[in-house]
Amino acid sequence: MTGTKAKLQVAGALDVAELYKKEPPSFGHAMHEVFGFDPAYVNLNHGSYGSLPLPVKAVCDDLAAQIEANPDKFIRVLNLAHQTEQRECVAKLIGAEADECVIINNASHGIGTVLRNFEWHEGDIIIGTTTTYGAVSQAIKYLSDIPPHPTVSTFTLLFPTTHTTILEHWRDHIRSITNSANGDILQKRKIVAVIDSIASNPGVRLPWKEMVAICKDAGVWTVVDAAHSIGQELDINLSEAKPDFWVSNCHKWLLAKRGCAVLYVPKRNQHIIKSPIPTPVTYNSPQDDDYEGPQDFVKMFEWTGTIDYVPQLSASAALDFRQWIGGEYKINEYCHNLAVAGGRRLAELLGTSVLDPEGDLTLNMVNVELPIPGEIEYTDEINILLQHTLLLEWNAYAAHFRHNGKWWTRCSAQIWNEVSDFEVLANAFKDASAKVVEHVKKQSVNQA
Amino acid sequence: MASKFEFGHNMLQHFALSSEYTNLNHGSFGSVPKPVLEASEKISAQIESNPDAFFRLEYQPLLNAARASVAKLIHAGVDECVLVSNVALGINTVLRNLQWGENDTLITTNVTFDSIARAARHITSTPPYPKSSEFNLSFPSSRSVILTRFREHLRSVKESSPQSPTRKIVAVIDSVLSTPAVLMPWREMVEVCREEGVLSVIDAAHSIGQETDINLMKVSPDFWVSSCCKWLYSKRGCAVLYVPKRNQHLITTSLPTAINYMSPSPDDVFSDFETRFFWCGSNDMTAPLSLTSAVKFRELLGGEERINAYCRQLALDGGKRLAHVLGTHVLESDEHEGEFNTNMVNVELPLSGAIKSTADTARMFQQKLLVEHKVYAAHFYHNGKWYVRASAQIYNEIGDFEKLGVALLEVCKQVGTAHNC
Repeated sequence: MTGTKAKLQVAGALDVAELYKKEPPSFGHAMHEVFGFDPAYVNLNHGSYGSLPLPVKAVCDDLAAQIEANPDKFIRVLNLAHQTEQRECVAKLIGAEADECVIINNASHGIGTVLRNFEWHEGDIIIGTTTTYGAVSQAIKYLSDIPPHPTVSTFTLLFPTTHTTILEHWRDHIRSITNSANGDILQKRKIVAVIDSIASNPGVRLPWKEMVAICKDAGVWTVVDAAHSIGQELDINLSEAKPDFWVSNCHKWLLAKRGCAVLYVPKRNQHIIKSPIPTPVTYNSPQDDDYEGPQDFVKMFEWTGTIDYVPQLSASAALDFRQWIGGEYKINEYCHNLAVAGGRRLAELLGTSVLDPEGDLTLNMVNVELPIPGEIEYTDEINILLQHTLLLEWNAYAAHFRHNGKWWTRCSAQIWNEVSDFEVLANAFKDASAKVVEHVKKQSVNQA
Repeated sequence: MASKFEFGHNMLQHFALSSEYTNLNHGSFGSVPKPVLEASEKISAQIESNPDAFFRLEYQPLLNAARASVAKLIHAGVDECVLVSNVALGINTVLRNLQWGENDTLITTNVTFDSIARAARHITSTPPYPKSSEFNLSFPSSRSVILTRFREHLRSVKESSPQSPTRKIVAVIDSVLSTPAVLMPWREMVEVCREEGVLSVIDAAHSIGQETDINLMKVSPDFWVSSCCKWLYSKRGCAVLYVPKRNQHLITTSLPTAINYMSPSPDDVFSDFETRFFWCGSNDMTAPLSLTSAVKFRELLGGEERINAYCRQLALDGGKRLAHVLGTHVLESDEHEGEFNTNMVNVELPLSGAIKSTADTARMFQQKLLVEHKVYAAHFYHNGKWYVRASAQIYNEIGDFEKLGVALLEVCKQVGTAHNC
């Protein structure tokens, strides 16, 4: 177990130290014992909001009790050592230096912090893709809406496709921007590409390292939205991949408490981040009388406003849990194999197909076509109908979306799932899809 | 009133503070009552039972109920109040949404809360480099002097800044200053701003749950942000951002930008204020939702009036006792006794004003007072003197102030010796 020990022997609460001496539950439904799920709920949507293991919750509860016992002592005196421990253990997992990593509350905030710290000029270009996460593409849109109005360039990503094809198109896209009609654009302006390591809808692994390399060669900045990476992607190795900025949610696949993400900024780029948002008391401005240089990156993120510190201190407990149940490799081997097998089974039962039959783009999420006619367009009503049917009538859930003219579900295969969960989901989606078709039929009758 | 809720040390049973620790610093980080922690734990269990069902189906009405409970307390429309993580984020949201020009001026004071002052400095250090202006406040002073000087300051800023038609002047005003803890004539200052054509951004971090007569509909500041986890007993990670309807078009994005952001366009239906702030990324949502149980608990205790009557009086009595033990005096208004009073009291320390306020002296105070003596109140340097700011809460009694005084006598002697003073 890692570093600064929280006192685990709390009367009536889960004794984590004792628990970790025992054999962990095996992967599959036995894992329900260490999660707080409604036992009847078939959770195939871990990818959206994450899930908190009970032993990690126990460590969090103990930290919370320490804070409440003496808020000033914890926050002013003890917190810093905890923060350092978190940065160290997370950095180790992603192949980065500890002082290139800070813990923030979520990926949206991290991406927003990076994009807002760039000093934008007219003619600058921000590259997003058609599968960029909604909040991130809106953040990009906002920046182009305000003066000095950097331009947005959108790279089209349509699935199914292959990494080879994606890279070919990406190379072309970058080339076409950097060789723009204005001559050598990079002499005057900057180009910043926001790249997903793992896209959300569909849930697919992208060749982000190669995309970063292409950008680097072309003088384009790379901001990697790796929200889904930590705890799902093995061998992240940032010191080798060398993205300019990288952000990942620890409260997704790493199983930390909601409100925990890591922002990685290599030393060569730390000067770009002039201020976290909100600005901390430690910020140094060139306008200060006693200005001696910019503030240290890590120091700026130590305190940026009063929050509940517990989530941001939960990554180490999550890593301890993951170590206990088998470690990164075993966990992801189980989840990946289940994603492939489960996706296949789901497609079979729905009479449809898997988005990525070869499995090259599949980590622990699998996308399966839904039996909803592709010409039916997305509406909020359909979205709500699907949610209600699945959650309220079937007590089973996986994300659903429309992409490239078809309807899909994205299932997250987690350590508590088994293939039978996909079978339950199949029945749920058959019913929900039929309801959507029915709903659309009624609507067109009403409009006739 | 049931004796189970009799104010004083009896109330400690309802809070999760260590029995070894005497907390006279509630004003910094608050303290969450056990009923609020328990209600939050129930919500946590609900979330973990089925996160998708909770966030997609159950969360929004619960959040709206929390917003309604706080809007009621400050006499504002629910559709003018959104919840953000903390005051710093709320103020940063306002200041960073305003589109700055080189002819604009951002006014703060020398006692603006330090991170807010830094945010203002970051903005004026970034293109297009709006101007900064500092309004000087030094205590002791009086409300009438502050108001007169404030108007003078605004006028001089207006006169000296370029006369462009799009020029704006924005003033960040504390409702209750932090160190020293002073109830500012913020309502009157909002009025002065309005008369002088200046936008008022009120850092009301300490107001909600401490000021009992907040009527934002009447006062109508341009922007107002208050912490819910200081005096209102919510979990840490909750503050209310109030933006009156007339200004909501100025706040186009949350921080971070949310999926609900819509580009302003004559064709689009403009995304409304509440929607923009509904979901800004995954977080521990038990914090904003804890508002409901916090407000309920305070009602159970007798409501805002009863709670604050006790705290106000204890701050007064405690301050006097503390000053007596220290052989110093309470910081008071020059003109009208009591016009600056809050639930916090500032008492001068027996420590040489020649000793500078540094990270090292802060650490010394923290180590000796907080860790060794296990009693704490904020310590600060102002206008050539050292002070302590003690917060009076319903779990405090006058003996706590004596204990603090005895500890401070020793600690100040040690700090003095360390600095050869």
